Amino acid sequence: MKVEYINPFIEAVNNMMQTMMGVTPQRLNLSIKTEALTTGDVSGIIGFADKNITGAVALTFPIETVLKIYELMMGEKILTLTPEVQDTVGEMANIVAGGAKRTFAENGMPFHISIPSVITGRNHAIFHKIGTPVVVVPFLVEGLPFNMEVSMKVDNQ
Amino acid sequence: MRILIVDDSVTMRKIISKSLNAAGYGDVIEATDGADAMSKMTGVDLVLLDWNMPVMDGLSFVKETRQSPVFGEVPIIMVTTEGAQKEVLMALKEGVNDYIVKPFKTEILVQKIEALMSR
Repeated sequence: MKVEYINPFIEAVNNMMQTMMGVTPQRLNLSIKTEALTTGDVSGIIGFADKNITGAVALTFPIETVLKIYELMMGEKILTLTPEVQDTVGEMANIVAGGAKRTFAENGMPFHISIPSVITGRNHAIFHKIGTPVVVVPFLVEGLPFNMEVSMKVDNQ
Repeated sequence: MRILIVDDSVTMRKIISKSLNAAGYGDVIEATDGADAMSKMTGVDLVLLDWNMPVMDGLSFVKETRQSPVFGEVPIIMVTTEGAQKEVLMALKEGVNDYIVKPFKTEILVQKIEALMSR
């Protein structure tokens, strides 16, 4: 996976949080994922594909982070990981994948995105089975951590 | 004026519904996909429609609605993450009246509704 492919996803995270929550997340250093386990309680995952492109993007949040995000986005405080909070995680993954999709389409690399899935459970595992390195992008929002994982394979790469 | 929000995400339905209520639109109903929306169209003056949904997606809903002798003229604003030029053109060709890409400022959505409904 080319490192420049990560930028549209980062821009999409920034745009989503600035527009919907009025905050700018702080991006930390990228790394390559070495094990399937995540460091979070809930993940929103979207796959994408076209003739020559396959991949997935996942947003993984510890519960404290996602509850803060829910409060910022909805103006309501919730104390547990309710179905509504899980839906918010799926919708964030949808918006990030959609934003990145738009940028790739403008650069001649169109793809289709799936409907998001949400996984819960402390330190759950996410397997990206497309045979390419998975880039992990850590962020802080309001001082609280979350991660984005992106895997993307372009056949003529 | 009755507004129907069609989105499989309860988060988006809630965000949109709250902003409509705050802008003075009190008669707001919701549907979770295109098929659910078809069953709630009676008396609807405007549809705010997501694209990617299970059961029946937004574009299929537009195609079906535009062929309906009863609901064919109801204005539709697409509210979706599908923001590439190709998709926007496709939706407009099928009869969508306006288009807003997620994420969006709710004020802009309200402005679009006011502009569309005052035409």
